[in-house]
Amino acid sequence: MIYQIARTIEDGILAFHGFGSPLVQLALHLAKRTHAPRMVLVAGATYGVNPNPPFLTPTSNDWVMDRGAECHLDIEELFDLAASGRMGRMFLSGLQIDRFGNLNVTRLGRDRLQLKLPGGGGGCNLSCDAVHVTIWTAAHRTTPDAKGRRRFRLVADCDFITSVGHRTTDGKTRKEMGYRGEGPDRIITELGVFDFDDFGQARLTALYPDVEIDTVRENTGFDFPVSESLSVTPMPSAEMVEFIRALDPLKIHEREFKPEERLRSFPLV
Amino acid sequence: MNQAVYTKTDKSCDLPSLIAHVHPGDCLGVGGGLSSREPMAALRELVRQAIGNLRLVGSAHGIDVDLLCGAGLVAESAESYVGFEQDFGMAPNYRRACETGIVAVRDGCCYTLVQQLRAAIAGLPFMPMRSVLGTGFMAMHPEYKTMICPYTGEELLLVPALKPDVAIIHAQFGDAQGNLHIEGPPVTDILFAKASKKVIATVEQILPTEQITEKGVTIPYFYITAMSEVPYGAHPTACYPFYAYDRRHTKEYHRLASEGDEAFQAYLQTYIYGCDSQAQYLETIGGMDSLERLASWQQGAEVWQALYA
Repeated sequence: MIYQIARTIEDGILAFHGFGSPLVQLALHLAKRTHAPRMVLVAGATYGVNPNPPFLTPTSNDWVMDRGAECHLDIEELFDLAASGRMGRMFLSGLQIDRFGNLNVTRLGRDRLQLKLPGGGGGCNLSCDAVHVTIWTAAHRTTPDAKGRRRFRLVADCDFITSVGHRTTDGKTRKEMGYRGEGPDRIITELGVFDFDDFGQARLTALYPDVEIDTVRENTGFDFPVSESLSVTPMPSAEMVEFIRALDPLKIHEREFKPEERLRSFPLV
Repeated sequence: MNQAVYTKTDKSCDLPSLIAHVHPGDCLGVGGGLSSREPMAALRELVRQAIGNLRLVGSAHGIDVDLLCGAGLVAESAESYVGFEQDFGMAPNYRRACETGIVAVRDGCCYTLVQQLRAAIAGLPFMPMRSVLGTGFMAMHPEYKTMICPYTGEELLLVPALKPDVAIIHAQFGDAQGNLHIEGPPVTDILFAKASKKVIATVEQILPTEQITEKGVTIPYFYITAMSEVPYGAHPTACYPFYAYDRRHTKEYHRLASEGDEAFQAYLQTYIYGCDSQAQYLETIGGMDSLERLASWQQGAEVWQALYA
């Protein structure tokens, strides 16, 4: 998954990872080390530029994550960069993700607050302003409860819109809303990869080698189109995997996955 | 109302006097961010003095906001994030207080907060911005307005100036008149200091002005209302280079907070109500052994890493 996220990062852009996202932190460092050496890597929470942390910590506003940074942005500069169109890519997730890439990290329950989620930080602003957005979740697969009901991560509708995708709840496009960024272009999950069609709807474009299309269907709360060129996700090299393991000796990123997902293994390139 | 400038030459005072600047019902901007440089000793004193009905504003926070919620002092939260990230997940007291309706949920977004503080700093009634339209935050914040830009014809979002009643900041160094030197990410501290009506600060060390000038002044003295020297004043969050994040203590905090109100009352009793002073608190968290362990990060990556295991 880290490799799939890394593959969405173009060389030569300014990319920013938020906090609470170890998979993304690792993906950015992997991309910078491989195909995107000229990326301006801005770290979430410290706003350090091009840091070289000795190991990943479970907390992102930590000097560990800031070691080796060439300089630092302040909070207003970081968000100004996005608002003025200089932030090439941002990475967002949600406890609910809808077919247009709208995300909810604020609350579950519409009329009555059932579960207060931590909140979206600056994700709301950046979902409008960043040029491109990569959406990710490591919890696409859902387990049915005793009555066979599933609480989907990829849902038909979000209970609250924390950050915006391609269409608002009343069907307006990003252009109609005046957002400067182009919106999400990928949803990376532990089951597969979606891009977005011309209508702004998530479209399945790749599957991991051990996942069937029906598995994605039964774990997704909306019907989705499938790309004509549906492919199998490319696999990272052994060196890349080694790099990730060395950067995350405390295995912080594994905390994002359910125990059964951690048991999956893939042949490396 | 014009913002005050504070020119008293010696602003240092003890922690109880510092916290007496906060009043019930105040809008509070808490400095620091996530697990770093939270003004925890000041917040513990706030809990001891039981100054409640507070309205909190801020960006990405964790144990600081959760503690105030657990002590029942918060009426409203406009924080943009309150949680323990990948480390321990959701903030238990904050969640409970929001879900039972004790805390009114008025979540903000980082850039919206930045723009609101910048309006206050510049003495303007509002700032325009492009994001947020089309999200759930519009219904949550009826004070947000829109206007058609007279230059471009675009629809823009307007957010009103925000002047917190009090900003509470913890810095590494300060001088007696209040010049502060912050090392590492300042988060929203500088904006809070310039936008708020009063700023109260705790520092690890008070140094002569010449030494602060040499290090560089992050926040000039005339923004600062009062200050206290409180070593380990950010514990259990980090205040580098002095000490790292106390994951062990935070884990115990999170465990008790997760168990429910009763278990959390025991935490408050042990570490706050039962400790009259910061010195007594430091003894309770394990004294010199704990403090040396947290300072050990300087010995190298391996020792540093062990603090997170």
